[in-house]
Amino acid sequence: MKHSLRGSIFARRAGLAALLALTAPLRAAVSHGFTQLLDSVVRIDVNEVSYDEGAKRFEASIGSGVVLSADGLVLTNAHVASPRAVEIHVTLPSLEQVDARLVGWDHWTDLALLRLDMADVRRRRLSFAHSQFGDSDKLFPGETVYAVGTPFGLTRTVTRGIISNTHRYFEGELNLEGYETGNFNTWLQTDAAINPGNSGGPLVTEDGRIIGITSRGYLGANNLGFAIPANVARTVVDGLVRRGEITRSYIGIEPKALQDLENFYALALNTGTLINNVEAGSPAARAGLRVGDILLAINGSKVDGRFPEQLPPIQNFIASQPVGSTLVLTVKRGTKVSDVRVTTERLESSVGEECELDAWGLSVRKVSRIYARQNQLADDTGVVVVGVQPGFPADAAGLASGDIITKIDRQPLVSLEVIKRALAAYAAKPGPTLFEIERDRRVSLNILKP
Amino acid sequence: MRSLLLPLVLGLAALAGAARAADLPALWAERVKSTVAVEYTVQNENDRHPTLAYGVVIDGRGTIILPSAAIDQRLATSQLRDFRVYLPGDPTGYAGTYLGQDVYTGWHFVRVEEKVRSRLTPITAFARPASPVPALAEELWGIGLRPKEEDFMPYLLQSHLALIQSLPQKTGVTQQEVAGPGLPVFNREGAFVGLALSSFGQTFMQFSEGNRGGEAVILVDLEESSAFQLADEVLPNLGRVPRNVDGRPLAWLGAYGLEPMDRDVASFLKLSAQSGAVVSEVLENSPAEKAGMKPHDIIVAIDGRPIPRFRPDRVVTDYVEREIERRRPGDVMALTVLRGSDRIELKATLGDEPKLVREADRTYFDRLGFTAREFVYGDAVARRIKVGEGGGAIVRYVKPNGPAALANLQSDDWIQEVDGAPVRTYAEAVAKLAAIEKDPLRSEFVLLVRRGSDTAILRVKLR
Repeated sequence: MKHSLRGSIFARRAGLAALLALTAPLRAAVSHGFTQLLDSVVRIDVNEVSYDEGAKRFEASIGSGVVLSADGLVLTNAHVASPRAVEIHVTLPSLEQVDARLVGWDHWTDLALLRLDMADVRRRRLSFAHSQFGDSDKLFPGETVYAVGTPFGLTRTVTRGIISNTHRYFEGELNLEGYETGNFNTWLQTDAAINPGNSGGPLVTEDGRIIGITSRGYLGANNLGFAIPANVARTVVDGLVRRGEITRSYIGIEPKALQDLENFYALALNTGTLINNVEAGSPAARAGLRVGDILLAINGSKVDGRFPEQLPPIQNFIASQPVGSTLVLTVKRGTKVSDVRVTTERLESSVGEECELDAWGLSVRKVSRIYARQNQLADDTGVVVVGVQPGFPADAAGLASGDIITKIDRQPLVSLEVIKRALAAYAAKPGPTLFEIERDRRVSLNILKP
Repeated sequence: MRSLLLPLVLGLAALAGAARAADLPALWAERVKSTVAVEYTVQNENDRHPTLAYGVVIDGRGTIILPSAAIDQRLATSQLRDFRVYLPGDPTGYAGTYLGQDVYTGWHFVRVEEKVRSRLTPITAFARPASPVPALAEELWGIGLRPKEEDFMPYLLQSHLALIQSLPQKTGVTQQEVAGPGLPVFNREGAFVGLALSSFGQTFMQFSEGNRGGEAVILVDLEESSAFQLADEVLPNLGRVPRNVDGRPLAWLGAYGLEPMDRDVASFLKLSAQSGAVVSEVLENSPAEKAGMKPHDIIVAIDGRPIPRFRPDRVVTDYVEREIERRRPGDVMALTVLRGSDRIELKATLGDEPKLVREADRTYFDRLGFTAREFVYGDAVARRIKVGEGGGAIVRYVKPNGPAALANLQSDDWIQEVDGAPVRTYAEAVAKLAAIEKDPLRSEFVLLVRRGSDTAILRVKLR
């Protein structure tokens, strides 16, 4: 059983250390909005597929969510409900349980949208309330907020705190089962108690408006919780309702805060951002952008990346342009300022499709174009070993997680279909099978025997 | 009275052992003269530390060989200073000269000053024609040397042969430690039977167990070893004194990432009773590339001789590498490779290996707090780029808490720009950095470095 909450260390299988203490009753001013909010927070039980252990396994986890509409849309975290989910059960505030399906997810912002089985809701005459977003841009540090959710499976737990920081920046991308998160927004920080299982639940103001979706906390720290701002969530929800997915543009640059480098680059303060990395093979690289260039403007709009907190909006601006559109980047290199035209590509995850190869005791993930690019592979041929089951042929032959299988019986693994065909052939007539493996650039041959 | 008793008992025990080999004291006294301890100093940017090794005298000119592990391969020869040679039991250090390493045997050669040479006996004096191969369970003995504070006093080690294995050099393993690493092993008649290796692990089993993808777990006993290379592997190679301190020329094929295969794979590929080595990559402009070798080719024969099978299988890569190392640049090496189901004959003319990292020029900038070194061929290989795309400088050392360290410069960072201007050559990088180092008014400078697949702009503040 997993209680979902992301932290610096993932809270996987956290033990239920239920420490019950007697405290004075909370005397909050209970507004109508707040009551309605309490009646819209749900518990979410998810059963999902996992390939981590060399085979297809099922894993249960608990999270929280909030109902957004009378027609049963429920917002939660992407790390609570993902396409790996095979069963999603939602426990309504009335404690009645109803099934839900995934409408869509967006791992970059860690948000997922569910739809309750409304036919079942009507048949059983179940009722629930729904809540509305507030404006997360209007929050101020010190403002009182409440987190509502299911910490450690304790349904409908309300905790209180304040906004500790309105724009917390996390450098780099945070990974969620290999999926990328966090380049396009800053986070709300709160000291309201947030524990594993709170994930996906709302962070609300006293009037019951949703100003954030609780997402992660530092484990082992005291009261350092983080939430996705409502204004980010609102846009993502709109996109998921309309298209079932969020499409973003990608050009392959990583900006860095200029912070005190303005002198060196002969710039006025609050002008431009430093291009700290250009991904090889990306549209920006093909357009000739280089590390050390200063990005001054995009399509004529001025860019200001003096501080790290200002970087996610820049990334988000690029991401929100239509895929395939041409951006005019105004770039300063040395003393020269010029316009560079970059045509965007669709942003993709490095995580490829997964499957299990039961007869060999292996689970694998297709090498994606992005994975190949990030790992300097020649192309996207091959599959990455995700898990190996002890005692099975792959284990006996010495395969390990992270190995890339490039060929089976001399057949290049250009798709998962090729590997599935090889498995079927093996299952029909088990015999020694030749695997070509790449590990740390070293190529070796291995025989998998029945 | 009581204090005398213990030495007396010990003395009796020693006598009992000696009685079994009445001739040993005489053999011992002669053979100790072929052993020495060698001390040298490793000079780093900000510190120096003395290092000790044991060696054996190989000729009348005072030439001494030290085992491969006696000197860290990554050190530049300019960092190796103050070689001192100590005779067993004599606290005087005599001046030595480092002659370089022979890549085939791995030995380091040192020559001691003339005045002490007459007190040394080369190991060849104890070599017997048709070097005797010790038999299983045969009693063998060797010499160990006590630490420096005990004047490197020699002491006797004795054991029985437990096993002989091809790794690929013929290697004897004894039941217990039989000699100090780098020191000789003899049989009961006093004939030289082998040279103790830099010790295996505390147990040979730990050393020999396969651990694919990782380093073997070794708990090294630095003082004594239970493994030795047979005289057959030692005596024919004593003439391999390097021509220069860098051990040049170095025969080079350019087949990168040789990987062994187990017997299941060998029999699947219909290589009966033999083995092969998979070539992971073929390096740019290398003799292998020019000979038409392709990545993933499997080398199955060299000069028409099939690659033998070894136990453990992974020894095969050492075998192939040694086949290259024992040759010279210009030699033609005939290679039979499997490519898919084809058997292809290749002829590679070996070259001289491109400049190694340890041979790269380097400059230490004390005020900036780091050492820059020349970008060499191996840096391009490590970064998977074309050699022509390389250039500039690599960070070799970062002074702890120095300006560069505080700016998060890390060793192995590739410096591509200094103060916003690209540096294409090492000379250009050094000139720019030296100018900054010398300028007392400079308060900061900016580096663009590449680290793995990422780049970073670092601002280094000078105080």
